[in-house]
Amino acid sequence: MSEVLLEAQGVSRAFLGFVALEDANLTVNAGEIVGLIGPNGAGKSTFFNCVAGDLAPSRGRIRFDGVDVTRLSPEQHARLGIGRTFQVPAAFEDMTLLENVMVGSFLRERQARVARDHAHEMLRLAGLERLAGQRARTLGTPGRKRLEIARVLATGPRLILLDEALAGLTPIEIQQAIELVRTIHAMNVTLIIVEHIMEVIRTLAHRVLVFNHGRTIAQGTPQAVMEDPTVVEAYLGHRRQRRRGRSAT
Amino acid sequence: MSGRWGATGLWLALLLFPLAASFSGSALFLQDIGATVLLTAIGACAWNVVGGYAGQVSVGHAIFFGTGAYASLAVYTLWQLPPVAGLPLAVGLAMLIAALIGLPTFRLQGHYFSMATLAVAELIRLLVSNWDMLGAAIGIQGPATPRGWWDIVYRSPVPYYYIDLAVLAALLAATRRMTRSRFGFYLRAIRSGERAARSLGVPVRRIKLLALMFSAGFAAVAGALYALKVGFVNPESGLGILVSVQMIITAALGGAGSLYGPLVGAIILVPLQSVSNTWFGGSGSGLTYILYGGIIMLLARYEPGGLAEWWHRRLAPRLKRTPAESEHVRSAA
Amino acid sequence: MILLQATVSGLLLGAVYALFSCGLTLIWGMMNFINFAHGEFVMLGMYAALLATWAGLGPAFFAPGAAIALFALGAIVYLGVIKQVMRGPMLAQILSSFGLALLLRYTAFFVFKSDFRTLPESELSGTLHLFGLYIARAQLLAGAAAALLAFAMHMLLTRSALGSRMLAVAEDRQAAMLMGIRPDRMQTLAWGLSAASAGVAGALMAIAYPFSPAVGETFALTAFVVVTLGGFGSVPGAMIAGFVIGLVEALAAYLIGPVYKDVVVYAIFVAVLWVRPQGLLGASAR
Repeated sequence: MSEVLLEAQGVSRAFLGFVALEDANLTVNAGEIVGLIGPNGAGKSTFFNCVAGDLAPSRGRIRFDGVDVTRLSPEQHARLGIGRTFQVPAAFEDMTLLENVMVGSFLRERQARVARDHAHEMLRLAGLERLAGQRARTLGTPGRKRLEIARVLATGPRLILLDEALAGLTPIEIQQAIELVRTIHAMNVTLIIVEHIMEVIRTLAHRVLVFNHGRTIAQGTPQAVMEDPTVVEAYLGHRRQRRRGRSAT
Repeated sequence: MSGRWGATGLWLALLLFPLAASFSGSALFLQDIGATVLLTAIGACAWNVVGGYAGQVSVGHAIFFGTGAYASLAVYTLWQLPPVAGLPLAVGLAMLIAALIGLPTFRLQGHYFSMATLAVAELIRLLVSNWDMLGAAIGIQGPATPRGWWDIVYRSPVPYYYIDLAVLAALLAATRRMTRSRFGFYLRAIRSGERAARSLGVPVRRIKLLALMFSAGFAAVAGALYALKVGFVNPESGLGILVSVQMIITAALGGAGSLYGPLVGAIILVPLQSVSNTWFGGSGSGLTYILYGGIIMLLARYEPGGLAEWWHRRLAPRLKRTPAESEHVRSAA
Repeated sequence: MILLQATVSGLLLGAVYALFSCGLTLIWGMMNFINFAHGEFVMLGMYAALLATWAGLGPAFFAPGAAIALFALGAIVYLGVIKQVMRGPMLAQILSSFGLALLLRYTAFFVFKSDFRTLPESELSGTLHLFGLYIARAQLLAGAAAALLAFAMHMLLTRSALGSRMLAVAEDRQAAMLMGIRPDRMQTLAWGLSAASAGVAGALMAIAYPFSPAVGETFALTAFVVVTLGGFGSVPGAMIAGFVIGLVEALAAYLIGPVYKDVVVYAIFVAVLWVRPQGLLGASAR
């Protein structure tokens, strides 16, 4: 049965008076794929970064596998089994793909030889094995996103947070990426993904949490959420606002 | 592999250099330059660990070099001990100062560390310049004549040359071992992207601190070796900014973050500096440091990886961007 | 009485510190770049004043002349080196301005030699006797002018359209671009402004204090302490901190001895890093 892996309660975050996130709640069970959606600036990135440990919430609590991780550093998050990717891929440019992934492997393996073998395996999973000896800077965006996934996978996480991992990919690349996510999920990894591409959410997510103006406005299956009038209004309203703003300038 | 042969050839040449030089008319001069090259290389290699590999740019490494020089000569002037006996004190003190600088600054963005190294270097230089026990502005000296072998005082530069060579070899071996270990990977990850490194569980602050302490310790050794050879140190020659500059430019020219870069930098710069000083006159008002400033700027602007990077690019022209489609072809196959 | 004397001269010098530190913190806030050559910009301002006297020009030309010369230098340095180096690793960024500092400093040593100089006597020389204190007229002028200019700079940045465009780039580069602001142009201007304010501070100091090419190194460190104490990117913070450091220096010189005044300031720097790295008005230093 499903055990509760992640529990976020009342997570709020303000920046100098501006409330970016207000009272967000989410419970994620082991083995789930949860999607976070919402217009830009809706607070999903803020929530994402709070869960990842990059930001400390102003209020609220986050528990992972029973441990209170609310104020823990990103390093500690990784050690506990929470991994994340970055919206703009942050590869170690001057290091080879293999070396990049080895940095991840080293979290669990102390010896270089073992870490190297493990990293090869991760690269193979991500379909990058043939490029192992090349420097990361030679990769294009899709390659970098894949590298990041291989690298975070190497840290042996139980939960991976994907930050718009499929943005900017061609349809073929998106299909391949979805396959990769499925492969990872089959390895017993729980996923929280932030995405703008509805197709991806519909295909992959078991559950979706919708953000708007810093609050969560809906939660449920992708189907249910996308038919929810509040959600539709949020997106349409946003588009209406943008159109209005454009004609005003 | 050509790399292996190149390295063996280099060490062989270094080993035999004083012997070969002895056949020349200016043997002593050449051997002295050789010893200076090795000494400079040690300092630069030490800086390279924290500045090159870890990417934490210290512009005040003179602190540690000066600590080494002063500590070893101070145990002689104050307690008549052989200067070598000051080595543990020198290394310990250097590591302590490193921790005092690193602990507050490594949790902040990189610039704070660099500014702090500059400020602390100047602070210590001013303190020492006014501290009579350490000779104030005049400085302190080592033994003029050896009381025994343990004083390590020689007329000829050759014994110093081989001592320096041994220390350099040890430092490079240790550095190489480190780069292949988890610590080394973590260092380079921190240099390439701290935020990403953190997200992968790298204990960034601790690693930076350890790198700085290791670097400081060996810079102190370099300072002690310098004091042994020259037999004298004052605030300018031990703690002045030009000491820091020398370490930086030597490492950066050869290739900061590469193993042999600092040594290559030393082999190029030290003889050049000797020539430049003869032509243009002494350090302070000479053109040498104008040149150094220019070289550092050019390196920063056009080739931050130094000669090592340039060499790497020459040998591996295939390092262009892989077209996206061929990647698909490969992964789809 | 002497304590009051020290306080006043400390505040006057502190005003100059405030002026040249504003430029450093502006660049730091805008581009996350610490200009290690900033102290040399101040030094060059001093020598600009000297060159003006050699050309037979009076004190009225010092500040404007320094401002124009250093503005040009700042803009050229940005366009020629800094702009490109920003895309590279941290090592390259730090070394670029560090190398520039060396280049400027040792060129000045080469051209002007290492002796301390003062500017020739002019209508600005002489001492004033105010409220029982003896204040050098030149120092009073330098301090007052510096304080005014620092304030003007703050006004420029916060009240003018140009200033808010610059601050927008500092705040959020992407957003600024979307608003039609060109970050490159703003950054060039910021570098020009930063260097110009440093140069003017130097020119003002040259009127009142002796100078040599060596002072650049000291001023760079002073500026670092001031901007750290003031807070990352905070121009008002730098202004306040400038006065504080000037005061501390003067009091340290009076109470402990002139030899140790810099030691005290650098020790305070380290203490600030340990205890309150965000400084007085900075948001967060991480």
